[in-house]
Amino acid sequence: MPPIIENILSSKYGELFVRIVQVGLGVLFIYASLDKIWHPGLFAKSIANYRILPLPLLHISAIVLPWVELMCGVALVSNQYQRAALTILSGLLIVFILAIVSALIRGLDFNCGCFRMDSEESNMGFRKVLQNVGLLLSCALIEYRVWVVQPESRIKFTRSN
Amino acid sequence: MNQINKLIKDILILLIVSTLLGISAQAVLPNGIGLKTDITVVGDDSSAVAVPSVAINPNGEGETTSNISLQNAYTAYRNASAIFFDARSPEEFDSGHIKHAINLPVSAFLDSLPYLETLDFNKHTITYCDGEDCNASIDLAADLKMMGFSKVNFFFGGWLEWQDAGYPVERSP
Repeated sequence: MPPIIENILSSKYGELFVRIVQVGLGVLFIYASLDKIWHPGLFAKSIANYRILPLPLLHISAIVLPWVELMCGVALVSNQYQRAALTILSGLLIVFILAIVSALIRGLDFNCGCFRMDSEESNMGFRKVLQNVGLLLSCALIEYRVWVVQPESRIKFTRSN
Repeated sequence: MNQINKLIKDILILLIVSTLLGISAQAVLPNGIGLKTDITVVGDDSSAVAVPSVAINPNGEGETTSNISLQNAYTAYRNASAIFFDARSPEEFDSGHIKHAINLPVSAFLDSLPYLETLDFNKHTITYCDGEDCNASIDLAADLKMMGFSKVNFFFGGWLEWQDAGYPVERSP
């Protein structure tokens, strides 16, 4: 990473920017989890459409995944368990990207089950890959800030007196 | 090293709490599902396939849709007693489909709501896609059922079985 980026990220404004990205990401994952939590059957159906997961793991995945998203989202917003949440979400996003790409390659066409279970805009497409790559890059930005630029502590709001 | 250990510990805490909350929630949610994946076998003996029950009845309540055999589908066609919905893409539909069928890809379901609302919800509806390798007919049947259509079947043998039987087909101009 060029020094100028590190300087920007370690500045007050860089810190504020990363914090905003972190809260935004947290809110997005909380939003993404709610419809799945409310409709576990529909979410299980969405997962089944990918035809990747063995059937015995279908229900347990549909039950646990949305809650993982919710807990990680809350962790990011509240700034608690931040590194763990970022690591989990990065792993999940990589899995989501691979699953969507694999479905696109196989010509499967269905609602991706990304945000809403009944939304037309959730249809499978390359846009969904880009969306998830964008989220992954946001995670990477925050992780870089947390692990490299300011490894000694979590990001904290600094209030000027 | 301490940081890595703490990270692993925190990840485990988040995952365990999420799992416990997820499992507990199923007892409270109106549409909760069990931990074990329920399987439904669809299709005739020759083309029977195991699919997760949530694919047919995602909300786990009310009447479910069911498979209809080639013979019964043809009888419904001959008596003009059912509407056939082709769940495949417009390109596949144009290259050949069951005669008088209506193209309704699952991905275009919401766009089609205004049209679907003009239909008789008591009319028998039959969905199909390519055949046993696709689930679009099951998905579409579940959607139609949830929308309120009273008698919905998916014809799992699909386009391939219909075509092989030499029953009436047509191409889009």
